[in-house]
Amino acid sequence: MTATTAPAAVAKARPRNRYIAALRTPRGITGVALVGVLCLLALLAPVLAPGGYDAQGADALRPGSWPALFGTDELGRDVLARSLYGLRTDLGLVGLAVPVSAVIGTLLGLAGFLSKALGTFLQRCLDVILGFPSLILGISVALVLGAGWWALFVAIVVYGLPAFGRLARASLLGQAQREYVHAAQVMGVPRATIMVRHILPHALDPVIVQIAVGMVGGIFLESSLSIVGLGIQPPAPSLGALLNTGMRYMTAQHMYVLGPALLLLLLALGLVLISDALNEAVQR
Amino acid sequence: MTTPLLQVRGLRTRFGDTTAVDGVDLTVRRGTIVGVVGESGSGKSVTARSIMRLLRTPGRVAGGEVSLDGQDLLALPDKQMRSMRGGRVAMVFQDPQSALNPVKTIGDQIVEALTTHGAAKSQARKRAAELLDRVGIPDGKNRLGDYPHQFSGGMRQRVVIAIALANDPDLLIADEPTTALDVTIQAQILRLLARMRDELGIAIVVITHDMGVVAELCDEVVVMYAGRVAEHGTVEQVLGRPRHPYTANLLQAMPRLDTAPAARLAAIPGAPPDPANLPAGCAFAPRCTRAGQTCHEQQPALAEQDGRDVACWHPVAGALGSIVDKCVAPERKAVGESILSVDGLKVNVGSRRAPVYAVDGVSLRVAAGETLGLVGESGCGKSTLAKAIVGLTPIIAGTVGVDGKAVDPARGGVRGAVQYVFQDPYASLNPRRTIGQSMAEALHAGATPDEQIRERAAQLLTTVGLSAAHLDRYPHAFSGGQRQRIGIARALATNPRLLLCDEPVSALDVSVQAQVINLLADLRDELGLGYLFIAHDLAVVRHLADRVAVMYLGRIVETGPADQVYANPLHPYTAALLSSSPEPAPGVRRERIVIAGDLPSPLNPPSGCRFRTRCPIGPLRRPDRQICIDVDPALGNGAHTAACHFPGELA
Repeated sequence: MTATTAPAAVAKARPRNRYIAALRTPRGITGVALVGVLCLLALLAPVLAPGGYDAQGADALRPGSWPALFGTDELGRDVLARSLYGLRTDLGLVGLAVPVSAVIGTLLGLAGFLSKALGTFLQRCLDVILGFPSLILGISVALVLGAGWWALFVAIVVYGLPAFGRLARASLLGQAQREYVHAAQVMGVPRATIMVRHILPHALDPVIVQIAVGMVGGIFLESSLSIVGLGIQPPAPSLGALLNTGMRYMTAQHMYVLGPALLLLLLALGLVLISDALNEAVQR
Repeated sequence: MTTPLLQVRGLRTRFGDTTAVDGVDLTVRRGTIVGVVGESGSGKSVTARSIMRLLRTPGRVAGGEVSLDGQDLLALPDKQMRSMRGGRVAMVFQDPQSALNPVKTIGDQIVEALTTHGAAKSQARKRAAELLDRVGIPDGKNRLGDYPHQFSGGMRQRVVIAIALANDPDLLIADEPTTALDVTIQAQILRLLARMRDELGIAIVVITHDMGVVAELCDEVVVMYAGRVAEHGTVEQVLGRPRHPYTANLLQAMPRLDTAPAARLAAIPGAPPDPANLPAGCAFAPRCTRAGQTCHEQQPALAEQDGRDVACWHPVAGALGSIVDKCVAPERKAVGESILSVDGLKVNVGSRRAPVYAVDGVSLRVAAGETLGLVGESGCGKSTLAKAIVGLTPIIAGTVGVDGKAVDPARGGVRGAVQYVFQDPYASLNPRRTIGQSMAEALHAGATPDEQIRERAAQLLTTVGLSAAHLDRYPHAFSGGQRQRIGIARALATNPRLLLCDEPVSALDVSVQAQVINLLADLRDELGLGYLFIAHDLAVVRHLADRVAVMYLGRIVETGPADQVYANPLHPYTAALLSSSPEPAPGVRRERIVIAGDLPSPLNPPSGCRFRTRCPIGPLRRPDRQICIDVDPALGNGAHTAACHFPGELA
């Protein structure tokens, strides 16, 4: 059976831009559209809410209505404006932290090709990180660095490392036994060159998928840390911080918490759709 | 004659727009074994799956009829077809490793097969034990509680056959039942299948790519090419006096044990066609020396000729031969100085605390222009040996020398002189890099100046029969044979004097295999290369090798000039290997030496002679031979010598 299907499957050309092809699928388009619109909203926050996130209106805890869809908070500030600025904070945070985490994690995972002992040691270190619940990890980081943007950044980077490291290592272990890697070794190609040339390109596929997944995780980590008060410090808004305070006024002004939650949900949905679409392309 | 058990007429199976099986007829009578033989993509497995209605989407049967005992299988409702499968028709797959569920005992798996088809639970276990005995698993009753991993590959295949036989099927379809097994184990399984036919009177359809298996086992044979039947008849007719040029050429292209090796094989040019892109006329026409105008335009129909059916416009008339001109071999360069010397090499593939010596004290020499064939079954350590020589696996004892000087393989000591040709042409090229990039990597490593790399790469591709135009393509654009040529070109990039060829043709189709073997022979003779040629196929080794070394459980048990070893094997293992290799010659059923059991674990090798646990002349049969248990026999010093206390007794 394999004999019959293999040549046909092999003959199918691998398009060079299969990531782009993946994003053109219905799932990919929806994901990109969602994330794109949210990014745009975040970027345009100063235009859409010229008053900034701190402008106080007449009355506090007014329910949502046009144009202040999400109503106002306990200090009479527009929740929609605060949400958009919060989105800006979140996107900036995970947009920086997750790629940094991916680069470091991938390198840590691939280090095993240069030295077996080092690779094993690094994996055990990653296992230790994996042992911490994300919240505890975040709290520890915040305690060391002091609560704030940097603590969140570091926490998201560290939190993401095990996933990237393990994915990269899995690719490494799979690739290192391939005959073309052996062939390069026998010819005397330096190990570092083999790693960059033959192993890294294959390791990138799952890593790129994981970046989208990791961003969702990063946003949730930010929210949970903000909920316990160790995230972005007031008065600056973040989606997590908004949820944190909004929860207290849930009965009085439900849009206070539902609004930011909706944005968070849409962002997560978009990212998951993108990672799903990419994953399918990679598996093909 | 009675009505046939299975009658397939005009079967046509399509995968989307691709016709994988096109008008196949197949007739199977009770108590006979029919071989369906063909290369990859010939549609043989798809035919079997179509009969069983086990096609995966997008595959579907587009036409024809399949009737079992007059019952139309294609029209049967799903539910009845399910009870048919495993009931009246059973199937045995290629890989016994994946055909059994590793987390269930084999007893449970046989019982499941029985109870699914209505057997009472109380009776099922007893019947399961009987089945195990029937397929030659001793002490079946006590082994029902064992898990698949407690059985060796050959034993697992017996279990699979036992499951297939569970409900007394009328028809057994075996899809490459021995391809994953070693020759000595293959001989056991083939015997078992023949016994099932004789004892139970069941009909068996064997799907295989191996003409040897057909000759050994089958009564009738159907030769398939590109989804169609090329020739159909009794084994004696088809293999003895083939009429279809494809059959005839294929038989000529195979290296044989029973005839003196010619300098070159009569290779069929080209590669089997892609089922998605078949030529208009006869699918074999582009590769056929007899093809005329009609062949390229019209498909020939099966027509009776000389007692069998042939689909050919210009069938072969006379005796076998004279179809392909025997290739003329260039003058061979004289065998030169010894390039590679290996002494007392030991390789530990286990851990430091629990060592497993996959290679345990091996010494060998290979000279320029010479081919040393290294033969052995899987697990004997032949690949580990090759990997250790080039430094891919660390050695723990012994030395590797190049030109008489000891070198350290781990530091690339053999790199300048020795290169490696890998087994799997699909895995040995990075799918994301063009052929040019892969070649450039090798040339760069061989210190070729950057500005000459492209020119030299083109040169090397021409040497192996490809062209410079191929440099910018990716590996997926090439067939298996072409990829293996690229692998050879890459190995030549650093100007080695010796190639380690690790099963270089075992992944290739028979018709392509001959091309690569010829290429290797040409390169050896033109460039004066030395080869350490590793293979499990004795016929291939015989064709290329000047000297042969036979490996068993990490040791070389016999070594000597090829003609002597093959004509007069000294070690009983060599003799058994030779007699287990099936030959594509019908009627020649030699007295077989079928050795019992499986390769022992190198973790805990037997004391004394390592072969004694399976040896047909050892203490197993001759309890008086205590020496085999006590003393480890050593290789002698002569040109042809065996590590055996009783050399030459079994020949």
